[in-house]
Amino acid sequence: MDKLLRDKKAIFVFVAPAFLLFTFVLFIPICQSVYYSFCEYNALTKPKFIGFENYRQLFTIDRTMKIALKNSMFFLIFSVVTQLIAGLVLAALLTNIKKGRDFFKNVYYLPCVLSSAALGLLWMFVFTPKLGINQVLAQFGIKGPLWLMDTKGFIILPMWVIASVSLWQYVGQSMMLYMAQISGISNSLYEASYIDGCTKAQSFRYITLPLIRPMVATAMSLNAIGSLKFFDLIFNMTEGGPNHMTDVLATHLYQQGFKYFKYGYASAIGTILLVLCLIVTFIINKFVKVDNYEM
Amino acid sequence: MSKSGKKKSKISTKVIYVFLSILAVVYLLPLLWVIYVSLKDDKTLFVSPWALPEHLMIENYSFAWTAGKLGVATLNSAIVCGVTLLLCLLVGSMAAFAIGRMRWKLSGAMMTYFLTGMMIPVHCILIPVFTRFSKMHLTNSLTGLILPYLTLSLPITIFIMTGFFQSLPNELFESACIDGCSIYRSFTHIALPLSRTGLFVTGLMTFVANWNELLLAMVFISDDNKKTLPVSLSKFVGPYNTNYSQMFAAIVIAIIPTIVVYCMFSNQIVDGLTAGAVKG
Repeated sequence: MDKLLRDKKAIFVFVAPAFLLFTFVLFIPICQSVYYSFCEYNALTKPKFIGFENYRQLFTIDRTMKIALKNSMFFLIFSVVTQLIAGLVLAALLTNIKKGRDFFKNVYYLPCVLSSAALGLLWMFVFTPKLGINQVLAQFGIKGPLWLMDTKGFIILPMWVIASVSLWQYVGQSMMLYMAQISGISNSLYEASYIDGCTKAQSFRYITLPLIRPMVATAMSLNAIGSLKFFDLIFNMTEGGPNHMTDVLATHLYQQGFKYFKYGYASAIGTILLVLCLIVTFIINKFVKVDNYEM
Repeated sequence: MSKSGKKKSKISTKVIYVFLSILAVVYLLPLLWVIYVSLKDDKTLFVSPWALPEHLMIENYSFAWTAGKLGVATLNSAIVCGVTLLLCLLVGSMAAFAIGRMRWKLSGAMMTYFLTGMMIPVHCILIPVFTRFSKMHLTNSLTGLILPYLTLSLPITIFIMTGFFQSLPNELFESACIDGCSIYRSFTHIALPLSRTGLFVTGLMTFVANWNELLLAMVFISDDNKKTLPVSLSKFVGPYNTNYSQMFAAIVIAIIPTIVVYCMFSNQIVDGLTAGAVKG
């Protein structure tokens, strides 16, 4: 038995395909990408090492980068906070009702499995000046704002709209994560708390919340990384416009890399994105994660 | 509980139901609106937005299906996602079997190596993989799309399947070994059949993620006949198209297959994807 499990040839046969794919399509490209970020490199030339020049340009000259960083940070904070609150509220409400729980659960989860590209286009039409919401508002004699083209304020209206749409699309996932954790909590804990005179709100505060903390960390890091990588909805709702005001890091990277073919410059944006992802994961795991309680 | 307390909780239950129902409307209304507009005539759309369509404009659908190349795109998406799914389950569970069940020094290190892949955003590998693949003439081909999709799906597959293989009882493999079963046979005939739940969960996650993927497909494929569904849709519904009801029909074509499958297996899908996310 032991000999069989130590069979070197078999281990090699089992691991090699995954290892090779991983190395050639993921690991080496990551290293290359970091290297390219220090190079002057476009579709026509070979990469030429120029040190930190790309990064210097990104942080000093590039106006769009500032907007993209601001929007990405807004997006990150908005989705982490709202998904946490809305996901918890929905999970708490749904675990407290009996009839129709599956129906509501499945309806709220539906957008998570649909293509963000298609949903982005759908919501783009909902918010176009002549159709959708503004058509409804016009019936009541209200002139609706230019939802996706307004440029006033520090965080402009289109960003709020897009962030809300992404909340609409992905809150089902946070809700399900919290529900899965809540349903794992033993009922006897709640019964004991009711005997001691707890109200439902109190038992939620003192039993449910502490016991789902590990899941809060998981859901938060999923949301945070997801919102940093965010591309499809923005690309299809505004394409970064008007005048790059709704660009985020991912759309900025796409434009620099595949519209202007500045590969080196785009790689620098990609590296910044990678570093941000690592930092965010680290922070969340460090400050939110706690040991699992016995349940 | 006192009588007034009971009454109070009844009212609060009603409030909860009202709130949940309003939210359900917010979720379903946009989808219904798209279907409704897609059946209308484009000319009447702005004149009488609320009137029911006089005759159903099925032509909108046939136009989007052929001229928008959504038919070809659906087929391409099905091929890419299907092949990726099968390969990913095979390659992923093979590696997971070696890591989870077999005994070798580097298995822990190998696991860490695969797991780092989960933190890496696809944007970072876009440029190197694209330049390499275009030298190898792998762009504009479905193979060129399957390879990165497969690789990006591997970490979660290996992670979940390793957990499943580790939870299998040792005795099973020992008795199989005594009966003269080879290690390959015990993988295909014992480990895989017993981990069907794991295969279902990971398969579902992989398929949904790849079916909806836009960025990579958009960069890698420029030939209209090789495009996948999200890409063709984004191209058809763009600033240069002025026929709204045809664009709406295209959106419906793109999301209807998923909605139908979801309605049939919603509980399994929701639970499966959640189980996967919990583990990940």
